Amino acid sequence: MTLLKVEDLHTHFISRDLDNQICIAKALNGVSFSLEAGRVLGIVGETGAGKSLTAQSIVGLLRPPAKIVAGSVRFEGRELTDMPDAELNRIRGNNIAMVVQNPRTSLDPLTRVGDQLVRLHQIHSGGPKTASHKRALEMMEAVGLPDPESRAKSWPHELSGGMAQRVLLAMALMNSPKLLIADEPTTGLDVTVQAQILDLLRSLVARFDMATLIITHDLGVVAHFCNDIAVMFGGSIVETGSVRDVFAAPAHPYTRDLIAATPERFQMGRAKALGGQPPDLYNLPSGCVLQSRCAYATELCQTTVRNAEVAEGHFALCHYAGRLEEQPAVKINA
Amino acid sequence: MTQPVLKIRNLSKRFPVGGGRVVHAVNCVDLSIMPGETLGMVGESGSGKSTLGRVILRLLEPSEGSIEFDGQDITQLPKGQIRRLRRDMQMVFQDPWSALNPRMRIRDLIAEPIKLHVDLSRSERDDRTEDLARRVNLGSTYLNRYPANLSGGQLQRACIARAIATDPKLIVLDEPTSSLDLSVRAGILELLAEIREETKAAMLFISHDLGTVRMISDRIAVLYLGEVVEQGQTEALFETPAHPYTQALLSAHLPADPAFKVSRLVLEGEVPSPIALPTGCKFHTRCPVAIARCAREVPQAIQVPSGQQAGCLRIPNGGNIIERKEDV
Repeated sequence: MTLLKVEDLHTHFISRDLDNQICIAKALNGVSFSLEAGRVLGIVGETGAGKSLTAQSIVGLLRPPAKIVAGSVRFEGRELTDMPDAELNRIRGNNIAMVVQNPRTSLDPLTRVGDQLVRLHQIHSGGPKTASHKRALEMMEAVGLPDPESRAKSWPHELSGGMAQRVLLAMALMNSPKLLIADEPTTGLDVTVQAQILDLLRSLVARFDMATLIITHDLGVVAHFCNDIAVMFGGSIVETGSVRDVFAAPAHPYTRDLIAATPERFQMGRAKALGGQPPDLYNLPSGCVLQSRCAYATELCQTTVRNAEVAEGHFALCHYAGRLEEQPAVKINA
Repeated sequence: MTQPVLKIRNLSKRFPVGGGRVVHAVNCVDLSIMPGETLGMVGESGSGKSTLGRVILRLLEPSEGSIEFDGQDITQLPKGQIRRLRRDMQMVFQDPWSALNPRMRIRDLIAEPIKLHVDLSRSERDDRTEDLARRVNLGSTYLNRYPANLSGGQLQRACIARAIATDPKLIVLDEPTSSLDLSVRAGILELLAEIREETKAAMLFISHDLGTVRMISDRIAVLYLGEVVEQGQTEALFETPAHPYTQALLSAHLPADPAFKVSRLVLEGEVPSPIALPTGCKFHTRCPVAIARCAREVPQAIQVPSGQQAGCLRIPNGGNIIERKEDV
C-alpha cells in the first residue's frame, strides 16, 4: 500500500485587500504525488514555488490565511485534510516526523535537549520515563552525536548548527516515524557538515525503512541522495520521475533550464533567457504556469495542460512533453 | 613583469571578545591578485573569508601585516585617503536587500558612487547611470523604483552596477550569488564574467559554493580557520588537491548529476573554535592523515608537482593523500 498519497491538492491564501475585496493567491494548484516506504523523494523548485507549503499542507500546519480548498492527503489510507486536530496530533511527531530548515529556532531554548526528546516520546508512547530517557540516548547516538550522556544535558544555545540539526533528527526519530519530511535539512550548513548529515539520513532511511520527503533547492543533494524527484513551479509539480530519468532527459522546459543553470552544466555565454519573474499567484494565467517565461510557448500553452507520461513513471506537465525537439525555441519578451 | 593589483603579506585580524579572549579570524595570510585575474576564495563559515575581504578594502583595520594596493602600501593610510582609493576598489555584498538604502531610488543608488568619485555634470551623470543600468540588464523602468519593489536578482544587478560605476581595478565580491535562486544565479555569474572581460578588473570572489567558484575563478585559495591552506590554478586544485582539507572539502561537493560518482571523505567532528586555535597545523584535530608532528609544527606552504602551494607537513613523503572509500 502506498504510504503517502497526495491527490490534486489545492492550497490558497485567502485574504481581503484594502478595499475589502477578497483576493486569492493560488499557491498550490493540483499537487499530486505518492511515496512508498523506503523511498526518498526530493522536491525542488525556486523560492515561492510552493515546496514548503506542500509539506505544511500534508502535516496540517497551515495557518490562516492559508487554507486547503480541495484535494486529499492520504497517509496509510487515512485522510489527513479533514482530520480533527486531536487525532492529527497522534500522528504528527509519531508516525510522521518533520525536520525544518532552521534547527536552532525549532528547539525550545529553555529546555535541555535531552528533556525535549524525552517529552516527545512521553507524549506519544507513554511508558516509564527511564525508558524514554534510554531511547533518547540511543537516538542521539544513532545520529552521531558524540557523548550523548552529556549532550543530553546541554542547552540548545550550546550547540553548533550541525549539532542542532542532528538533535532535531534524533527528535524526529524518537517515535520511529514511517514518514520523515525534511524541509531544507542542510541549507545553511557547510558542505562538510552537509555531507555528514546526508550520509546519516541515508543510513537512517535504510535502517528504519522510512519514506522520506526532502525539500531542497540544491540539485546536487537531489542527484546524490534521492530516488525520485518532483520539480515544482508556480504551485504545480511540473515534472516527476526517477532522478536518473529526469536528469538524463528532462522533459519540461523549466526542468531543462534548471538543470542547465547548475554550475556543472552552465555554459558561459550560452545562457538562455533564464530566470524571470515567478508567476503572479493572484492572477495565474490560464493553461501552463510557465508560459510567460518559456522559450517554447505557443498559443496551445494557454489551454489546460495535462500530465503527459514521457517514459514509464516519468511525467511532465507540458503540451510539448517528449517532443520539445520538434518545437523550435522562440525567444519571447526579448 | 606586471605588478599585482593587490598584494597582502602576513595579514592577520583579531577581534577581542572580552574576558581577555581573542577571536583569531584571519591568521598570517599571503595573497596576491594580478590585474584582470579572478581569485576565488573558498572555505566553510567561520573560516574568515568575509573578514579577509573586508580587511583588504580596509573596511576593517588589520591587526598585523601589510596590504599593498596597486603598488602602494595602504596598511597605514589615513581614512581620508582610503576614501579616495575606494574609487579603485569596490565591493558587492552577499545580501542585496540590506546593502541598498531602502529610501533611495535605484537611479540615485547607482549614481551615488559616480557623484562621490567622478567629476561629471548632472546630465553626463544621468547618461552614465542609464548606461550602467543597461550594462547590468536592468530595465530603465526599474530606475525610478525603490529597492523594496525589486527582486533579489534585480537588486544584485543594481549592486553590481554601483560597484563598476567608477571603473575599479579590484572588485571584492562577498558571496554575491548565495542568496539567489539557481536560475537567477546563472544570470548574475554570466554578467560578472562579461564585466570582467570588458573592464579587466581584478576580482576577489568569496563563496562557499564550489561549483560557482570553479566556474568563475582563474585561481583559488582555500581558507581554513583564517589560514590559506592551499592556493593554485583552478583546474590543478580541483583535479589534484594536495592539502587534506581541500581534498575533503572538494569531495563533499555534490555535483548536480546523478551519473557523477562521488567518493566522499567525510570529516569527523566540527571546526574548532577560532578563540582557542589548535597548535601546529590548524587542521590536525580533524585530519585523517595527521601524525604526531602535525600537532607541534606549523607547516610552511610548499609547491606541489601540479603547481599549487599547500601547507601540509605530509606532502614531502606523499602521506597527504587521503584514501577514499567508494560511495554507493
